[in-house]
Amino acid sequence: MAKGFDIDHLAKLARLNLTAEEKVLYSNQLTHVLTYFETLAKADLPVNSDVALVVTEKALRSDEPGMSLGSDAVTKIAPASHDGQISVPRVVDDES
Amino acid sequence: MSNEWEIVIGLEVHVQLHTRAKVFASASWGFGKEPNEQVDPVVLGLPGTLPVVNREAVEKSILFGLVVDAEIPEQCAWDRKNYFYPDNPKNYQLTQKDFPVTMGGKVEIELPGAARNIMGEHKWIRIHHAHLEEDVGKLSHSGSGSLVDYNRAGVPLLEIVTEPDLRSAAEASAFLNALVVKLTQAGVADCDMEKGQLRCDANVSVRRMGDTQLGTRTETKNLNSISGVRDCIIYESRRQIAQIEAGHKITQETRGWNAEMSRGYVLRDKEDAHDYRYFPDPDIPTLKISRETVNRLKKHVPEAPFDRQRRYIEKLNLPYTAASVLIADKALADWFETAVAAHPTNAAGIANWAANDLLRELSAQSGTEVGSDETPAVKISLDSCLIKPAQLAGLVKLTDEGVISKQQAKEVFTEMFSTGKDALAIVEAKGLRQNSDTGELEKIVAEVIADPAVAKSIAEYRAGNEKAINALKGPIMKRTQGKANPVMIDQLLRKLLG
Repeated sequence: MAKGFDIDHLAKLARLNLTAEEKVLYSNQLTHVLTYFETLAKADLPVNSDVALVVTEKALRSDEPGMSLGSDAVTKIAPASHDGQISVPRVVDDES
Repeated sequence: MSNEWEIVIGLEVHVQLHTRAKVFASASWGFGKEPNEQVDPVVLGLPGTLPVVNREAVEKSILFGLVVDAEIPEQCAWDRKNYFYPDNPKNYQLTQKDFPVTMGGKVEIELPGAARNIMGEHKWIRIHHAHLEEDVGKLSHSGSGSLVDYNRAGVPLLEIVTEPDLRSAAEASAFLNALVVKLTQAGVADCDMEKGQLRCDANVSVRRMGDTQLGTRTETKNLNSISGVRDCIIYESRRQIAQIEAGHKITQETRGWNAEMSRGYVLRDKEDAHDYRYFPDPDIPTLKISRETVNRLKKHVPEAPFDRQRRYIEKLNLPYTAASVLIADKALADWFETAVAAHPTNAAGIANWAANDLLRELSAQSGTEVGSDETPAVKISLDSCLIKPAQLAGLVKLTDEGVISKQQAKEVFTEMFSTGKDALAIVEAKGLRQNSDTGELEKIVAEVIADPAVAKSIAEYRAGNEKAINALKGPIMKRTQGKANPVMIDQLLRKLLG
C-alpha cells in the first residue's frame, strides 16, 4: 500500500462528495498509481539524470494579442450561464 | 496606541504588468471589456492547449528586479498551485514557487515630515523576491449563485513579497507610494488601483517593544487601495494588542477587509486551502535568463526617484517641497531638466513655476487631483501642455534680468499657458517691459534724491546704513508707475549718492 494519502482529505480538496463505494474504488485506483510511481522511483539512475527541459528566451511568445473565443463560445461550454458570465453555485468570502 | 508595542508588517503586492497579451496565452486584456470577451482556449486550459510564456511579461519582471536592485537568477520556473475554486478555470494557478524571476532587492521610502516643507525620515525596505504568475478570474455574487468573468484570468501578475521590515501603517503607505512611483516610472506597470491593477495582502503581527521573536501574524487579503492598507493595519494591530492585553492568544488566520465599514473579519477557512500540492508545471520549460537580456534591460532603469530628489536639493539648490513634487512624475521632472538646461542659473526659480503654477494649471485642465492618496504617481499629461520647457526658462530669465517684475511674470505665465507664446512676445504685446531707459530713469532718481523729504534717509545711508537706501526706492517706483527696473534703480541710486 502506497504511503501517505487520505481519500477523505483528497475528496475534500477536490470538493467531491464521494459515496462509501466510490471511496473504496478510488482508493484502490490511486494506490495502483502510487505503487507504480514507487516502482519507478526505485529504478537505478545515473546522477544528473534531470530531464527538465531548459529553454532560452527565444522560446517565449511575443506580446502580440491574438484571438478570443468570444463570450458566446465561452458560456456555451459551461453548464450554466447568465448574461455572458458563467453561473456557479454561490461561493463567497464575504463578511459573515 | 502605547509605545510598548511594535507592529511588524510584511506586504505581498500583486501588480498587473503592462503588456498587451496575457502571460501564458495570446488573448488580449484590458479594463472595461464585456465579460468573457478576452478569453482563449489556453486561458481556459482546454485539452490540447499549451501555455507559452509572454516575453514582455518576463522582461517587465526582470526590469522590476533591476529597478529594486534585486538579483536576477540564471533560471526561473513555473509551478502549479492546485485548488478548486471557480475563479480559476484550470483548477490550478500557474505561479513560481521555488524559482522566482527575481530574488532580494530593496526599496527606499520617505516618511511624511513634520510639515509639508520638511523632508521626513528615509528608510530601506527589503524585498524577499518577486514571482511572475497569472491573475485569476473575477467573481460576482448574486442571490443564490455566483457569476464568473474570466477576462482577468491569465493577466500577467507580478507578486512582490517584502521582508517584515515595515513598522507602521505610515511606513506601509510610504512603501506603496514609493513602489508605485518606481513601477510606473520604469514602465513596468500602470498601478491604477481603481482598475484593480495593484492589490495587496498585509501580514501583520505585534510584539512588545524589545522582543526579538515575531508574534503570531494574520494575513488580510485583497486590499485594493493604499488607504485600505493603512486603515487595515491600524485596525488589525489595535485588535491584536487588545486581544493580547485581554489575555487572549492571536490565532494565525486569513482575514478580509470591509472598506466601507473600515473593519476586518475572519475569512471562512477554505477547507485546508493551504494544501495547494504545488508541483513543477510540466507544460512550461524552465527558462534560462541570459545575461545579455539583463544587461540590455539595465539601460531602461530610470534614475531612482529619491536619488533624483537628492540631486535636485544638493546640486540644483531646490527646496525640498518643489523637488519632491517634481520627482513623483518622471515626465514632469524630465521637462523641468530640459528647462533648466536652457537657463541653468536659476533652477530653483524654474522648479517653483513647474511644481506650483504649471502643475496646478495642468491638473485643473485634466480635472485630476494631484498627489492625492490614491494617485501617488502624479498623473498629468504634458502632451497637451502648450508651454515648452525653453519658454518657461525664458520667462524666468526675463524675471531674473529685471525686465519684468514677479507680479508681471504671473500675468505672462497665464497668457503663456493658454497660448504657448514666448514670454518676450507677450511682454512686448502687453507693454509690460519695465522701464530700462537709463537717461529718463536717472532724471527721476535725481529728482527724488533732491526732495528734502528723503534727506534723512540719504544721510543715514551715507553714514553706513545700507538698508536706508530702500526708503528711496518707493518714491521712484511710484513716479514710474512700477515700471522701473528695480536693479537699475539700485545701481543709479548708489551711483548718484556716491
